[in-house]
Amino acid sequence: MLSSKIQRPIVRLVFYSLLCFVFVAPVLRLCVMSFHGAEGYSLANFITLFHDQRTWEAIKNTLIISIASTIMAAFVGSFLAFVSAYTNIRHKKLLELLVLMPFIIPSYIVTLSWSGLLLKQGHINTFVTSLGLAPLDLYSLTGIWVVLGFINIPVVYLSVVHMLRKIPAEMEWASRACGFTIWQTIWRIDLREVWPAIASGSLLAFLAAIDNFSVPAFLGISSGIPVLSTYIYEKAISFGPDAFPMAAALSVLLSCIAIGWTLLESCFVHSRSAMESIKEDFQPRIILNGSRRKILEWGVTGLLSLLNFVPLADMILNAFLKNYGLAVTYSNISLRNFSFVFTNTGVLTAVRNSLILALVTCLVCIVIGTVLAFRQVRCHSLAAAIAEKCAALTYALPGIVLALAMIFQWTEPLPGVRPQLYGTIYILLFAYITRYLILQIKSSKTALNAINPELEDAVRASGGSMLSVWRYVLVLLLMRPVLSGSFLIFGLSLTELTLSSILASAGTKTIGLTIFSFQQAGDYSLSAAMSTVVVLLLLGGYMLAWATSLKKKEKNVYELASRTHKTEIRQHASA
Amino acid sequence: MSLHLEHIKQKFGSTPVLNDINLVIRPSEFLAILGPSGCGKTTLLRIIGGFLKPTSGTVRLDGTVYSDSSVMVPIENRDLGMVFQSFALWPHMTVREHVEFPLKSRKKAGWPAEKKEAAVAQAIHDMGLDALADRYPGELSGGQRQRVSLARAIVSKPSILLMDEPLSALDAELKINMRKEIQDIHRRTGAIIIYVTHDQSEALAMADRILVMRYGVIEQLGTPEEIYTHPESEFVATFVSKCNLLHGTWQGSDFHVAGHPFVYPDTGIAYPLKEKGLYPVRPEQFHITYDGPGLEATITNRQFHGREIHYAVTCGKEEFQVFARSGEVFFPGESVRLVFTA
Repeated sequence: MLSSKIQRPIVRLVFYSLLCFVFVAPVLRLCVMSFHGAEGYSLANFITLFHDQRTWEAIKNTLIISIASTIMAAFVGSFLAFVSAYTNIRHKKLLELLVLMPFIIPSYIVTLSWSGLLLKQGHINTFVTSLGLAPLDLYSLTGIWVVLGFINIPVVYLSVVHMLRKIPAEMEWASRACGFTIWQTIWRIDLREVWPAIASGSLLAFLAAIDNFSVPAFLGISSGIPVLSTYIYEKAISFGPDAFPMAAALSVLLSCIAIGWTLLESCFVHSRSAMESIKEDFQPRIILNGSRRKILEWGVTGLLSLLNFVPLADMILNAFLKNYGLAVTYSNISLRNFSFVFTNTGVLTAVRNSLILALVTCLVCIVIGTVLAFRQVRCHSLAAAIAEKCAALTYALPGIVLALAMIFQWTEPLPGVRPQLYGTIYILLFAYITRYLILQIKSSKTALNAINPELEDAVRASGGSMLSVWRYVLVLLLMRPVLSGSFLIFGLSLTELTLSSILASAGTKTIGLTIFSFQQAGDYSLSAAMSTVVVLLLLGGYMLAWATSLKKKEKNVYELASRTHKTEIRQHASA
Repeated sequence: MSLHLEHIKQKFGSTPVLNDINLVIRPSEFLAILGPSGCGKTTLLRIIGGFLKPTSGTVRLDGTVYSDSSVMVPIENRDLGMVFQSFALWPHMTVREHVEFPLKSRKKAGWPAEKKEAAVAQAIHDMGLDALADRYPGELSGGQRQRVSLARAIVSKPSILLMDEPLSALDAELKINMRKEIQDIHRRTGAIIIYVTHDQSEALAMADRILVMRYGVIEQLGTPEEIYTHPESEFVATFVSKCNLLHGTWQGSDFHVAGHPFVYPDTGIAYPLKEKGLYPVRPEQFHITYDGPGLEATITNRQFHGREIHYAVTCGKEEFQVFARSGEVFFPGESVRLVFTA
């Protein structure tokens, strides 16, 4: 045994180099690769790109799509958050579920269902053209940003709704006692208070829009509308010696836009010492009378249900037809698409791959993420805090950029070492873990912060070892919140498309990639059938999780947190 | 102007919270509403403020009806200012902006600009905030925050000031200092002050009259002296003046202590107490001696409080509290006599 004096620096050295190797090195390699050319390292790649009209078009499209979809998501998301947090409408649980639907359904399935609904010869467009109007074309710049905006509504909603509930009702009462009506109060007080949350939600929506690959890939590739993420994809899968360097250079451009926007926004939004209460207040603050309340209630939930369910229902229906868009008659109904999906070996392999990837990613993330969270929360370990920052880096990068970086890193991780990972399922696994680990760290941290450390001290004081602390206290208390965090990771990696679009090869296709290939090949019926299966599985899974969470209402979280610890949680939440 | 509360009832679902409250608050009166948590005092304040519509009953300021079965004047149209336990300051506004805020409302549109400026300057000066006028709430201490909240409430010169436990969030010493500030405000503005608290010493110290509430009904209404020296129920006797309740029999105006040969005089003991054969003795009305003519008791605990020493004693089966002067030292376990001094 080495003495601990020698052991500790060695452990630390190994840990830090592992961090660099897994999270930082890929990004650096990508940057280096972007300068790589036939005659050594130079700016040649960038110069070539900037001479290409298509690059400018892609940048322009990316900006238009991201900004327009962000504005849409910000307005609609904030409005829905106001309605849900402050008014006295009923069925708020249902409203929230409808708003969060685009989080549950992968964006390529949403896109697929919308494009199916708005087919040129579909019912809606037949109706629109019969009115003498131009048909709605989803395969356009407007189509892309509308769908992206719709998908990103929950991003803004979640950021705003919690902040709104945290504004103490007394702040409004004080304003009303000063002689202002409730609407004047909302305008002068609440809107000012919630502004930082709207801004940070919009920033997330913007980054999500830049990052999104599936929507512009489904709608833009066939109609010749390049954005940076799809342009990188096209470059990367094209052949030729300069394919990867060019894609790397484009990736650097895309990352610059993301970083630039973040910096720009941080200049405008100052975080002030907020005085919000830590507890959320669910009491309605705007009391609408009967008829107005009903109009709002039915209007909002009705519209959201239509937007969420009609395209999905249409897609599911079409999956049962011989061909997409046929009239629904008895003779047209067939199970052919489904029988293909359930018997085709390629499809079955893809399903198996995705399931294995999701499961293993989940397990690895739970273990590593929870240990890192524990080191950070309980031992205030600097190394764990740095690890979180590193993991955040690979999550903040657009997915397509990370995918490229993974290739550069793992084809030759160390000079002379070529593990032949590219083309196997392992590179996908590494990519998923590097990307999603941060989500588990965050959720494990929240879960740990909600547990009073005195509970652990009590085990130690009663003579228990660190092992019994974990066995009798932590594992039991952390189980539910940690699993709910990893449920998100499971859903994300099961339906992942962006990373696998670049990293998967013949035998390692995933569910998302299979649907994408069907769609790109023009096989709408097959992609619809496969999407139907995925949607039903996802909805079933969420219903199951929802039902179990209803059964066990979490009552004990606040009781377990001590006073001093609550302030810590609070600081953490405001940071 | 006086504020009238008539037959106020409030139910939350099927739980009654207020039961037939009738009360006239006189012009420029400082009324403290005192009671333990859950007694309905905050609910009553919210009904007066218009944050809550009473299930039935009427609230009116002289002839102006604020709430009744058909009318519900919104908060902003009532002539009032409010101070909250949590201060309720807005993080994005400076001290000056807080004080200016009430004057920007439509209600004060008729005030000329000079009058508004003078009112703001006056309120800031009165609360001693001149040096802090450009600070944000996050840069102020608890006491300073409550001063801002008070300045905001008084700047528009409302007829009624509602205060919901305004001192509860402050530390002990600051609480005592702020009492004087609130009394000064009352003298200067001449507004009706309705002050909700669970701290009987605050109510006794500041109020013109105290309304003691329990279980949603009025237990007693009176001046601090009346409430303190002549409690009308067991609850008021124990909650406000911390009385020891002696059992015995009333014969005319004499109280014969049960099991002892002592007779206490009637000092104006209320009928409900007499009916139950009780005699309230405040802790300072007992004098502890070793051999005086008094009830035999045993000291069980001693707490030193500076000017006073608080003793817990057992007397037969009862536990009593006795406050003695600081020189009068006894030890736990000692047998003593409790001499009643009226």
